[in-house]
This record gives sequence, structure tokens and C-alpha cells, in this order.
Amino acid sequence: MECVVQGIIETQHVEALEILLQGLCGVQRERLRVHELTLKSVPNLGVVSSEVRLLCDLDQQPEPTWTVKHVGGAMRGAGADQISVMVRTMIESKVSKNALRMFYSLGYKLDHELLKVGFAFHFQRNAHISVSVSSVNKMPKIHAIDEAVPVTPGMQIVVVTAPATPENYSEVAAAVSSFCEFLAPLVHLSKPFISTGVVPTAAAAAASLMSDGGGTTL
Amino acid sequence: MPVKWVLYWQPNQGSTVSTQILNEAAQCAESINGVKEGRWKATLNYYKPMLRDQSNHPDLPRDFLGISLADQPSKYYFIIRSQRIVVEADASIQLIMEKLQSYKSKVSLYFDGFQYQLGDFRLRVGRVVPVHSESIRGIVMEVEYLPISSVEKARKVMEEFVEIWHEALSKRSLSGKFVNTELNFGEFGLGDHYTPQHTGVQYAIVMAHMIATVQPVVRG
Repeated sequence: MECVVQGIIETQHVEALEILLQGLCGVQRERLRVHELTLKSVPNLGVVSSEVRLLCDLDQQPEPTWTVKHVGGAMRGAGADQISVMVRTMIESKVSKNALRMFYSLGYKLDHELLKVGFAFHFQRNAHISVSVSSVNKMPKIHAIDEAVPVTPGMQIVVVTAPATPENYSEVAAAVSSFCEFLAPLVHLSKPFISTGVVPTAAAAAASLMSDGGGTTL
Repeated sequence: MPVKWVLYWQPNQGSTVSTQILNEAAQCAESINGVKEGRWKATLNYYKPMLRDQSNHPDLPRDFLGISLADQPSKYYFIIRSQRIVVEADASIQLIMEKLQSYKSKVSLYFDGFQYQLGDFRLRVGRVVPVHSESIRGIVMEVEYLPISSVEKARKVMEEFVEIWHEALSKRSLSGKFVNTELNFGEFGLGDHYTPQHTGVQYAIVMAHMIATVQPVVRG
């Protein structure tokens, strides 16, 4: 299970966001370069059609590492409506590099693939929170990550997630929500699939952060 | 990780596998100064594709299995023997498979028995039983040589140990023998340095041989 919100930010303001996050999180940023492959089951396979994501972390040494991720449906109902973050089932598993070949053999086909390039912060603030800022890139040819181009040039996606359990998701959601308020000057974060656009005053906020030399204490 | 061979009991023509053979093997281990260390257990699941329309069968593997090994409680191993595929995953992959609902575990087997230390060797002898059943389907034996992680370097000393084992067991006049399956780890993309994936592949091969050669069992 995880709590998740996301938003978009203009690329020109990403540096300011990084300064803000550095101050808030108190940890070193990590490079993010992930090849994300979404696989779908072939027709007739499975009780229902299914989808699974394979993530290849290209920055790991000595060689890329793989993770399989299953993202489930979001919590619904009156309780969910009152929470400003999305709470959904999510299961991850590290896998060895043969996983893609295995899923192909099991009747899964590549539906689409993306390359996410940017940075991330992972820290503890009443919950284990991860913030990633990345450009989302598509590939002109299958698996051609070196030829990837941005899906939306000039825009990057900000995603904030935190793992949760059925017992603690309220607290985790509150922690994520509370953290997101600090980012409000630059990026508006909301439940995925509910787009709110860029923050109109982001330019001013970014200018303030940049002119401060990154030394602002928050 | 130390090199391990996984052997299985092959009964003579007309014989069946039974708990008595397992007991004899255990006593044999003790007779050659094996020190009993405790129990061990592994679990193997055979997966079958779930099809909405049974008459339309896409080309899917019939030998997709998953195994949980005694030495790696937080991991799970998938093997598709016909495709020469072996994958190591976190144990949470089983939850992902349940969520996907594309494959279901149709047959589950336990391997369990006792573990013995014999000098630089560790021996595990265990029965193969279906989950929710006491009918023994087979017997497996793991032989591990602790000082060496290279498959090739360990070969000679493993062969010598198995020879000693066969000799000790032959005194008990059992109708069958433990068999080691020669397999080419390279075909599965595995190298000379031994890993749990090597063990997973051996279990998949052993099960395939066991199914092909062992007669259905009598209880006990």
C-alpha cells in the first residue's frame, strides 16, 4: 500500500525546487534514471486482463537493478474523498535481470515504456517519504533509451510517495499532505489523474529561492 | 555461497519410494559420523495459466514453477525449464502473482527432513510430499561443500563424496539409488560462482526427472 500525490513543474523551476527540497529533507539527493516498462497480459490470459511494471534502475553499480511493481486500485468512498492523497495498493519486488524475459514467456507483452530522468530525495518525516522530480521521456524505437525524448518538453513531474499499511495509512497520508504544503509555492501536488496545472506564482517563488543562494532555512 | 548438488532417489524398476528409504538414508548419514543439526524445509509450486476461454490456448509454458528455499527465506525463485529461465525475486513476488491472477499455483509440494554436518559437507535428506498430504512422492538429498563456491572446482570433491555415500548406502540393500542430474548451468545464464539460482534450477530438473521416472506411491 502507498500514499501518493503528484504534480507538474516547469523545467526552469526545477533547480529552485531542488534547493527547497534539499533544505526540507536534510539528505543528499540521489540521481534518478529509471527505465519503466509496462507489460500487459495477452488476450485470454488471466481471470482479468493484468498489468505489471518492470523498473530498471540504470544508475546502479556495477549493473542496473530490476524491480517488479504492481499498482492496484485506489481506495474509494467517503473516507478516501476526505483524504487529499491517493491511497492505493502497491507491491514491489526486487528481481534478477531475467525478469523481463520471464514475463514475455508467461504471456505478457510490452504495452509502453518510459525513461524517467531526474533526482529523488528519500527521508523520514513522520513517514518514510520519497520525492522524485523527473522528466518523462519516450523512446522512438523499442528499448532505445539513448534516443529517448521528453514527452512534454519544458515540463517535469513531481511525485511524492510513502509506503503505508491498512493500519497506518491515515497518519502516512497526513505526513505526506503536511510535507506537500511546503512545496506549494513551486508545485501543486494532488491525487494522480486530477490535474491542477502549474503554480502561477512559481516563477516568483523560484526567483526568491535562487537569489537566496539556497541558504533559506525553512 | 557453497556449491550444492541436489540429488533425488530413483527406485529400481518395480519399486516404490517410501518413508523407510528416507529413514535408512538418515541413519546412513549418522553412520558416517553425520551430526544432526535440525530440520529443513522448502516449498515448490507448479503454476498453471488461468484462461478465460479454455478453447483458446495461447502458447504458454507448462513448466512454470516457483520455489522457496530453506537457505533464503526472504527470496523466491521462478524457473521455466523449457525456456532455460531462472529468476530470483523477493518473497513479495508471490503476492504480485496473486494480484495478477494470470497464473495460479495448482500443485504445491513440501521438501522437508533433517540436516547433517559431516566435516566440510552439509547434507540434507528430505521427503517430497504434496501440501495437505502425508503421501511421500519422492526423496531428495542436498550435498553442500562449504569451502568452495566454484561449481567446477568443487566437482571432483563432490563426486568423491557421492561415491562414499553410495558405498555406505549400498550396505543397506535398498532398491534404488540417489541420482545426480548433470546439467549445464550456462544454458540458464548462470556462471561458475554458485548461487541460490543454481539450487532453484537443480530442483526444477530434479522434479522433472522425478515425475518422469518415479512410480506413484504407496502411503508411508
